[in-house]
Amino acid sequence: MDLTPREVSEAPRPRRRILPAVVAVLAAVGGLAVVAVFLTSSVDYYCNVDEVGVRDGCADDQRLRVQGNVDEGSLQSRAGQTSFVLSFNGVSLPVDYEGEPGGVFQECIPVVAHGRVVDGILVATRIEVKHSNEYKAENADRLDQAEKTACS
Amino acid sequence: MTVSSTGTPTTRVIGGLALLITGWVVVSAFFITPADSVQGDSVRIMYAHVPTAWIAYLAFVTTAIASGFSVARRHRTLGFDRVAGASAEVGVLFMAMTLITGSLWGRLTWGTFWQWDPRLTTTLFLFVTYVGYLAVRRIDTDPRQRASRSSVIALLAVLEIPLVHFSVVLWRSLHQEASVLNTDGDVRLDGLMLFTLFSGVVAFTLIFVWLVIHRQRLTTLSDLERVVGLDAAITARRAENSAGVTA
Repeated sequence: MDLTPREVSEAPRPRRRILPAVVAVLAAVGGLAVVAVFLTSSVDYYCNVDEVGVRDGCADDQRLRVQGNVDEGSLQSRAGQTSFVLSFNGVSLPVDYEGEPGGVFQECIPVVAHGRVVDGILVATRIEVKHSNEYKAENADRLDQAEKTACS
Repeated sequence: MTVSSTGTPTTRVIGGLALLITGWVVVSAFFITPADSVQGDSVRIMYAHVPTAWIAYLAFVTTAIASGFSVARRHRTLGFDRVAGASAEVGVLFMAMTLITGSLWGRLTWGTFWQWDPRLTTTLFLFVTYVGYLAVRRIDTDPRQRASRSSVIALLAVLEIPLVHFSVVLWRSLHQEASVLNTDGDVRLDGLMLFTLFSGVVAFTLIFVWLVIHRQRLTTLSDLERVVGLDAAITARRAENSAGVTA
């Protein structure tokens, strides 16, 4: 008996089936397209202020995530309660939040507030800062200019 | 044959350059670049977060290309498969770093470590996919079987990358849109910040190349050891058989 090992390459190689592989790739691409379409219709992270009660999925009788800019001069902090006005596309929504928002929260910055609209006020349980994709060196003049631009 | 190192003069040069440029990035990120006008010092996390994300993409694309060659050449050589596996391992490592640094940055800037928004969710999905890929590579003990199965997964999984990158354009996301690789071509970073960021990309690219070379050589040695071990087992068996016949 000859037990001399190896030469795997001498073993007969099974025929490669191309069609199933092509079908699998097409199925995966199709699957991704379906997921993309599904996500587009229902998994946007937030509604803009001007869409509350107007757009599908932004009904004001449900818990919402609302995005807008914090109006200049609207921010008030009193006894652990933070109030401000959120605006977008000329529509405003007052926001009440119990606590101090984290991150780089400030006026003239876009934020996403999570909560419910009660009597025309968004009672928020979470505030997230939505940072822009611009990175600029810290500089007092620039900061003033940026705030003026953001709030104008 | 005894191998004591997977290093060569080339890998030593790559490793040295990687160390040098990484040192520059650390110094520049912490001591030279300015703080951001809104984020303050937390912007410094970007110099690790963005390059690790880009290099993870590069690693997964490399895995797909190597897998493509592996399939095209019908596994006549396992070299491409070993590069694919090594690249995926390094990619998973970098993707984990992306998720961790992003989470820290999110806490400082957004005010939360994590949210199930489109960018974060798709990135996590990509990470989990490649963890699964690495798991599949370990199912088969036969290197050719391993190459066959994992190549198919690698070629499909790479399709997730455009979905991750453009998730902030396709959907409304808490994550900001790209500042450099964006659709309008504008770069929204100050000069020194951009230079440090690209230095980080170069440093992490060199680290990636260095790790992949070493890892694929280790895999080669591991596969070789398996063959040598099999040879030894057969030889021992033959010796036992001979002893049994003569007894």
